[in-house]
Parts: sequence; C-alpha cells; structure tokens
Amino acid sequence: MIGEYFSGLAHDIEGKLAAEPGAASARKIFALEVARLGVRLYSPGRPVAWCGVLAPFDLLNAVGVTSCFAEFVGAMLAGMGAASAPLEGAEQAGYAADTCAYHRAVVGAAMQGMMPVPDFLVATTTPCTGGLAAIENLARLFRRDLLVLQIPRAETEAGVRFLAGQLERLARFAAGRAGAQLDPQCVAAAVDLSNVTRALMVEIYDLARRVPSPVSNRDLANFGIVVPLLMGTQAGVDVARATRDELAARARDGKSGVPGERFRLLWVQNRIQFPNPLLRLLEDEYRAVIVVDELNDVTWEPIDPADPFPGMARRAIGLPLNGPAERRVARLRQLATEYRVDGIIQPCHWGCRQGTGIRGLVQRGFQELGIPVLNLEVDCIDARSFSEGQLRTRLEAFLELIAGRPRVRA
Amino acid sequence: MVRGMTDRALVGFACAYTPLPLLDAAGFVPWRILPVGDAPDQAGHLLHDNLCPHVKRILDRAMAADLPPLAGIVFMSSCDAMRRLPDAWRVARPHDRLALVDLPVSTADDAVEYFAAELRALAGTLAEWHGSPVPDERLVEAMRRYDGLAASAAELRARLARAELPGGAAALQAALNDVTTGGWEAASRGWLAGPDPLRVLDRRPSASFAAGEETVDSRLSTLNALPVSGVPVFVFGNVLPDPEAFALFESCGARVVADDLCTGARVLASLAPAADADPYVRLARGLLGRSPCARTIDPAHPGRAATLVLDAARACGARGVVAHVAKFCDPYLARLPAIREALRDAGLPLLVLEGDCTRRSLGQQRTRIEAFVEMLERR
Ligand code: SF4
Ligand code: SF4
Repeated sequence: MIGEYFSGLAHDIEGKLAAEPGAASARKIFALEVARLGVRLYSPGRPVAWCGVLAPFDLLNAVGVTSCFAEFVGAMLAGMGAASAPLEGAEQAGYAADTCAYHRAVVGAAMQGMMPVPDFLVATTTPCTGGLAAIENLARLFRRDLLVLQIPRAETEAGVRFLAGQLERLARFAAGRAGAQLDPQCVAAAVDLSNVTRALMVEIYDLARRVPSPVSNRDLANFGIVVPLLMGTQAGVDVARATRDELAARARDGKSGVPGERFRLLWVQNRIQFPNPLLRLLEDEYRAVIVVDELNDVTWEPIDPADPFPGMARRAIGLPLNGPAERRVARLRQLATEYRVDGIIQPCHWGCRQGTGIRGLVQRGFQELGIPVLNLEVDCIDARSFSEGQLRTRLEAFLELIAGRPRVRA
Repeated sequence: MVRGMTDRALVGFACAYTPLPLLDAAGFVPWRILPVGDAPDQAGHLLHDNLCPHVKRILDRAMAADLPPLAGIVFMSSCDAMRRLPDAWRVARPHDRLALVDLPVSTADDAVEYFAAELRALAGTLAEWHGSPVPDERLVEAMRRYDGLAASAAELRARLARAELPGGAAALQAALNDVTTGGWEAASRGWLAGPDPLRVLDRRPSASFAAGEETVDSRLSTLNALPVSGVPVFVFGNVLPDPEAFALFESCGARVVADDLCTGARVLASLAPAADADPYVRLARGLLGRSPCARTIDPAHPGRAATLVLDAARACGARGVVAHVAKFCDPYLARLPAIREALRDAGLPLLVLEGDCTRRSLGQQRTRIEAFVEMLERR
C-alpha cells in the first residue's frame, strides 16, 4: 500500500513538472524526492536499511544502501490517514498504548506486511529509548542483522572516538552488504554533497529569520528531519537549493510567507503528522507563522571529506536532542531570540519521554524570557483521540494572550 | 563533607548499573534513592506525567527534601526517564552535586572501553567531592569487597529458591534495601557472619529522612512471621523495592523463588570475573556483563530479553512468571510482547502488573494475583 502510494505520488509530480516546468515549487521538488526515496525503499534492488533517527544517511547513501529512519513510515501512514490499522494491530499484539505512536505504527506496519523487509537495521541510542527498542523489535520480527550506534551524551575525546569507530565499522559492513569494499573516494564525494546541503540549509534558516519571514507554515514542515535522508546525494542539494532560491526570491520581492504576518511562532520538536486544521487556522484566522521548527536547525560544522568519521560523530553528539535538557533548552531559547518569536507551541506528543518528558523544563526556560508557551496535549501520529474543538479553543486563547502582550521583537 | 549514619558521607544513586565499588573506593557509602515514601506528588511541575513513576517518585523525594544529607548524586544515563532525572534535579535542587555517567547499551568491546573512560571520569569527580584521589588499589579492594556482598546476596537467593529463607522474598528485599540505604559498611563487615543473616544493620535508620518509617528490626520480625510456601513464581521487571509487595505475593499463595528486578537480584549481582588488568575496564565489563535490564541489548540477538526471562524462569523451577513493570517504562513495555510470546510458546503463564511504585497500586492487583495463583495451582 505504501509502496504504491509512493510510486503514484512520484508519477503524479513528475507528470505535473513535465507538463508545466514553471510550476516546480520547492515543496514539490521536496515531495518528489521523498516519494522517490519511498519508491527505492519499496522496490527490490539496492540493499535497504531501516534505521534510527540519527543514523548517518549520507554515509549509507555513499556506500549504496537505501536507508531511512523507521519513524518516517509512522509519519507517512499518519499523513495518509492510514495509521489506525497498524496502531491497533500493534496494540492487539501487546505494544502498550502509552508508548510513542511513531514506534507503535511502525511495528504494527511491519507486522501487517506494510514495510519492506530490510537487509539490515541500524538502531541509534538517540533521540529515544523507545526508538532503540523499536528497531530491535523490527530486527526480531524481520530476522535481520542489527547494528547499534551508541551515541555518547557529551562531546568528549573518548566519546567522539567511540562513535567514529562505530561509524567506520558501519560503513564497512554496509558497503559489504552492497557488494563492495568501502571506497573513501565515494564517501568523500558524499560528504562534499552533505556539506553543500548543510550550507544551503544555513542560508534557508537565515532567510526564515527575516521579519516578515518568507516562510509559510508548510514550506519547512518536516524539512530538517527529512532532508538528512537525502544527505550525501545530489537530490539533497537540489531540494535545499530550490528551497533556498524560492525563499530568497520571496525575500527579495518583500513577500512574506503568510501575508500580513502578525505572530511569529516556534514549534518544538515534531509537527502533527495527520491531516488537521491547525496550520490553516494559524494562517487564515490569525496570520500566525511558524518561523522556526526546533528540528530545522544546523548545529554541526562542515565535515572533513578526508576524515569523515569524527565529524559525523560530532554531528550526532552535538545535536541538542542528545545530551542534557539544559543544552536543549538553551538552544531553544537561542532560536526563539534569533527568530524573534512571540510564542512557542509545544506539542506534548504522548509517549515521547524525550521531548514531552521535559515539557516543564522547556516551559520554565521560556518563562524566564517572557515568551508564552502553549503545551498541546496531542499525539502527533495517532488521530484517534484528536479533538479539533479542543485544539481550536486552546489555540485561540493562546493567540489572544499573545496579542495582548507587548511584542518581543518591537 | 556531609556525613550520614556512618562516619563516611553518603552518595545517592538510583540505578542498578551504578558502579557501587567505585563509590566505596572513593570513600563514600552508596545510598540508593528508592521510589518509596509519602513525598507529595510535585515532579509533574518539571517532568511530564508520561514519565516512569520510578523517576518521578525519586524526584518527588528530592523536591520534598526527603533524603539524608548526600555528598552528591550519581546518575546513570540508562534510559530517557533516567536522563530526565538529573535534568529536573538540577532545576529542583541547584546546589546539589551531580554526576551523570554515560552507560552504553551493549557489551561490545569498544562500549566497555568507553564505559571504562566514563568510570574513570567519575572517579575524578568523586575525588573532587571527597577531597582525595581514588587509587587503583582501593578500587580493586572495593570490588573484592563488593563481590563478597554479592556472594552473600547470592547465598540468600539460593536459600530463597530452596524455601529455606525465613520470611521469604519479602525479608530478602528488606535486607537488600538495608544494604543499599546505608547498611553498606555493616554488610561489608560480614553479611552472613552474624546469627541472623537478614539483620544487616547494626544501626537504626537515621531520623531526618525516615520519619515515621518502621525500624528495620520490627519490619523484619513481621516479615519473618510470613509463611514461605505456595506456587513457585519468577518475578522480573524494573523496580519493586517494597518488601510488602513480596509479602503480598506470598499472601496470595505464590512463593517468589527468584527475581530479576533492578531493586532485587540486579542490585547486588556479582561482577563477572574479568581478566582485564585495568580495574576500570574490569569494573565496566563486570557491570555491563551482569544480568541486563531491558535497556541493555545484545545486537547479535534481537529480542534477547525474552530468552533471558524464559531461561531464568525455567532455571528456578517457576510454574508462572510475574512481570512487574512501572508504567511508561519504555525498555520493558517495548519488550513485553516478545517476552509474552516466548513464555506462551514454552507454556509458562505470565501475569503483567503495571505499577506506579506505590503500595496502593500493587494492593489493587490483589485479585488478579490471586486469580493467577489459582490458575497455576489448577494446572
Ligand atoms: S516523538 Fe519522542 S519517543 Fe517518539 S520517536 Fe520522536 S523522540 Fe522518540
Ligand atoms: S528502566 Fe524503566 S523503570 Fe527504570 S528508570 Fe528507566 S523507564 Fe524507569
């Protein structure tokens, strides 16, 4: 089902772009590359690896392995409005409803034959304990080799060495599965592409910071979490370049992403993945724009193509989701200040001990800055308990609160 | 320096992977912060309600100052919830000294080496707290002492399995709690040497943090009165520190013959003898190599938690298995389906109890436990 969805989507977008090349918006190019990745995942051919969120996708791309974090399937199913069946399947099999629905959806999808059997799996210890367990469960269900990347909590010398060693072993293993020896030239070429994509992402986020911001609420939804899947490929560069160009053109023409931008918001962690009216409500009724998502951020330095593993290790270790909450909250506060936001939306995704776990600490961090936080008790994947009315009421109250306050950016 | 009921200062800990011999070698008495007591529920101000109650109860105690004076607290990064604990602690009690040790999830050689580096860094921190360095010989000696304690604990467990331990699993749990909440030194001097091996302590609990708590002696005498008969069961999961919980199982007709709990068998488990010359590597390998919490995995055997539970249940001759899982505990919740499947295939019945670390939550399960035991008796 998901495989057909991806091929249908890719086919549609390709058709539209061929018929009308001028209509190639950045978001369409992004959607096309995501669909193509989906097609590769669901077609026999290259080896496939289901991974944890922090796997080095550029490295896996470099050695010829199609790879993706498993939560992507949960998000896709939710986006298609089709997550209920796998969620129910997982729950019936004993997976507790108190765990993260990304993982329940994925395990349910695997049990219901909706996920391609991978050649191997790569779990990562960050961002969450649940993610590690989900990949272990997939490895058990699929009876496939499991590798684990243990991501140290701090950037110590021993930590970087530990992770760099694991990355190098992963590269050799994955190359072997793709039927080749590890070729440093190929890895270096992929790292070069990653560095170009990274530089473009920096430009994109710089543009988004402008007042008014050229981004709309949809332009960069899931961008920072999905683009890493395309890292190390020309497709990643193309998506990032198209996005940069489109935002730069809007900024040049003085166009804002949300006409008449009134409120600027920061979104913490993941977006709600199933169809819901929130973004429309924000834009149409309040002219409020999510100028920054926490996950739309570049927190790593360019990687040395000649010695890629330590740089890749630092990239993972330095991610604010890794390490102490203090560091993460500090980064969130920095983003809020740099983007001059008026308010924070924090979806407290049920089952997430990572983001939702520190809800109170995030709230305190912003209280000190005088920026209001809206804690939305919502499951980002599982629409079964979603209440539009409740969401609307909370959102209205929050935006009215912001409207009545002196503006930070003034 | 802060001192407790011994002349050595206490250092708090909350996870069974904590390197207790290192705390000992650094001149401290390890003091486990158990999720017990009546501290008001305040942790929700800092952490979300969906976090495991083990962590939240500990934070409640910290916020209510229901702790003895501690020279510092050592946390392990065992799971998301445990990582959140120091995050929140720093906000709740900004003046406490905290150390967070990164705990690998597997026992691979490079993970052992990295963990050893973490332990060495912890030794540096403990030396700062104490004001004196931790010589390697002292660590070697502390590991030897620790293994003596572990051997005593193993002996008690063996007696429990043979139904020869007065007071059964409840008394053993009380003794384990005593060793890890201040009775360390007394126990180190010879746990099994005295006339009653379950009387670990030669002191009364210190007053400030245990107000209202029964003395260990009276608690033990109550527990000793309990019968030790019933259907043999194996209990596994995360935290179950309350001796009354085991008394409850026994009063329902079950006899707990063995456990694999982070407040039970895993807390004073022997460090596997390793040949490494470096004591930190030996300690790291020993800690990672013990019977694992579900948060530790073996990449070569995905789903190994299920095999381990099945093997342990068979080895102790249990006729049924009880899983005690704190609510919202991802490491265990995620592995339960595989464990259930393995036990079902082996024909071993499983009872899953989800708890919130309160006596009340377990008490509410009495009927289910009784029904489970009846079912086992009929088989
Ligand atoms: S939402 Fe939280 S628990 Fe779920 S995958 Fe993301 S970090 Fe992990
Ligand atoms: S292993 Fe489970 S019970 Fe223990 S701290 Fe982690 S989540 Fe809580």
